[in-house]
Amino acid sequence: MITQERYRTTVKELLANGSIKMAIGYKPGSTPDRRRPLFIRTSEEAEQLVLDSTCVQNLSGYLVSEGLLSDEKRVGIFLRPEGVRSINILAAEYQLNADQIVIFGFDSTGREVRPLDGRSAREFSGLLNELKEKPLQIYKEPLLERIEKMNAKERFDFWQEEFSRCIKCYACRQACPMCYCRRCIVDSNQPQWVNTSSHTLGNFEWNIVRAFHLSGRCVQCGNCDRACPVNIPLRLINQRMANEVLDGFDHFAGLSATQEPVLASFKKDDTETFIL
Amino acid sequence: MTRILFSDKLDNCVAKWRSAGLAVIGPVQEEAISRYAAVEKGTDFDFGTVLPDRSLKELFFPQTEPMLRYTIKKNEIDTADFTPPQGKRIIFGARACDASGLEIDDPLFGWDYKDEFWFQRRNESVIVTIACTKADDFCMCTSLKLEPDSTKGADVLLRPIDKNKGWLVEELTDRGREAFALISEYLQESSEPALPTVVVPEKFNLDACVTWLKNPENFESKFWKEISMRCIGCASCTYLCPTCHCFDIQDEGDTYSGIRRKNWDSCSFALFTMHTSGHNPRSTQSARWRQRIMHKFNYFPGKFTVNSCSGCGRCSRQCPVDMGITETLQAISNL
Ligand code: SF4
Ligand code: SF4
Ligand code: SF4
Ligand code: SF4
Repeated sequence: MITQERYRTTVKELLANGSIKMAIGYKPGSTPDRRRPLFIRTSEEAEQLVLDSTCVQNLSGYLVSEGLLSDEKRVGIFLRPEGVRSINILAAEYQLNADQIVIFGFDSTGREVRPLDGRSAREFSGLLNELKEKPLQIYKEPLLERIEKMNAKERFDFWQEEFSRCIKCYACRQACPMCYCRRCIVDSNQPQWVNTSSHTLGNFEWNIVRAFHLSGRCVQCGNCDRACPVNIPLRLINQRMANEVLDGFDHFAGLSATQEPVLASFKKDDTETFIL
Repeated sequence: MTRILFSDKLDNCVAKWRSAGLAVIGPVQEEAISRYAAVEKGTDFDFGTVLPDRSLKELFFPQTEPMLRYTIKKNEIDTADFTPPQGKRIIFGARACDASGLEIDDPLFGWDYKDEFWFQRRNESVIVTIACTKADDFCMCTSLKLEPDSTKGADVLLRPIDKNKGWLVEELTDRGREAFALISEYLQESSEPALPTVVVPEKFNLDACVTWLKNPENFESKFWKEISMRCIGCASCTYLCPTCHCFDIQDEGDTYSGIRRKNWDSCSFALFTMHTSGHNPRSTQSARWRQRIMHKFNYFPGKFTVNSCSGCGRCSRQCPVDMGITETLQAISNL
């Protein structure tokens, strides 16, 4: 409550003195347990702001849609640590200028919400480095452990069953702040590179393409997983890929705005020669 | 006196229908989602959910459907048609909104070209609607001038009686009577009353909305941008909708052979209207959201005299950013 009130005041001040043109936050949704994105441009709109533990959506995708930042004005945004990581990646991949983003950081334990220090992505580097050291325990979950015990065949069958439900609504892609491509590979239709059919093979293709494109870029915000209308446990795929890049390349996505993308950069002294 | 189908006889009915060659389909709760799926015995049904997550339309208009196989030779092209899977079936336990959805889409699939995939399945399916005795925050059939016990699209209407003991039977069509004649030995005369159907509050004034939408001045209204700002442009709402029916035809294969398929498509996608030149007449998400609303409540009724929405609420229930038809129409009624 206190955090929410303080942030309301801050947002109003920054809007009033012209430091930001808009703040993206949360407001009550259609049921008591739902929150929905809120775009604050006036102090009346700031009154609707809600900040509590049920504010979970990573809102950073809105920053790169429909030219919001093209006028070079600054935009404020409410972000959990994962959201700050996605700002860093978007900046590192030249999708936005991190200086244009004013961060209202928050995190929660249980129902308790607390503000995070800092207004620009840079100021969160200490916190993000700490996260890198201890992410694995946080995200461990029974289903993941179950899958890790499976052999290759069982795993294949498990995912085949899960993907058979996919309807290719692309809600996972649309919800993901890292899926900003103007033309997704599955939408490249001259020629059609990836089948649009939502049969099991097509669904496999889609989900595997996305898993690869998100490797080393996913910040584990859970947007895709929550958006999926048929409840495919997408978080597990991204979690696994995040572990792979951490183990293999010591890469924790989104540590800074200058971090090199792990799968789009190489070092001359790399022991693997295939890329050269 | 009405006839009652007691739930403890459901197993017998399922067996009877199956032995008469009818596939039995009903609401089923799977580990991850609920949907209408094949059942083999009475206990496979789950009548407890307000509404299955996935709609009934996909049993008539699946997400991907092969239409023909082609082989391209030097001087000719061979094609072989796929026919829709044959087989009679009974859908036991449809919700009124889902059954209505089928009837809403009938004229669309039959106005210029008769879609054989749709109509073959329609002709071979008996729809048994169960009137709703509970609803959730998102149900809004009454706002669309339908009811929890609408008979639209149904061959038989069942009304639940107390303590999940069974249902009062109202046969509505010959197809329904035929299917229930097969199980007549399990039906009993009774005077037990039906449970009242759930009261679903009206959420908006449909007529006022339609009038507003029909006014050409409102096409460019600022309202569209405001209401759809948070829409992320997925196809969740259209693909779960029992009446959304857009599809794309795609050839899947290589230069020499392949399969032509009919795949779901959605007006939420930017690609939906993208021209070859790169120009997109619906270049913003607000234009796409406007299209969805206009199509359902202005263009579709203009052509087929029925709204393309049965009020199931799935679009709002499932939206990743808590949008949906309801909020938009509520906002329009309050303009
Ligand atoms: S892949 Fe999913 S969890 Fe990862 S950044 Fe994208 S939306 Fe978030
Ligand atoms: S959100 Fe789920 S159903 Fe939709 S495309 Fe992604 S994995 Fe498939
Ligand atoms: S309204 Fe919701 S479900 Fe529909 S396209 Fe927009 S974000 Fe997706
Ligand atoms: S538009 Fe929404 S409420 Fe209407 S039928 Fe479709 S999913 Fe249901």
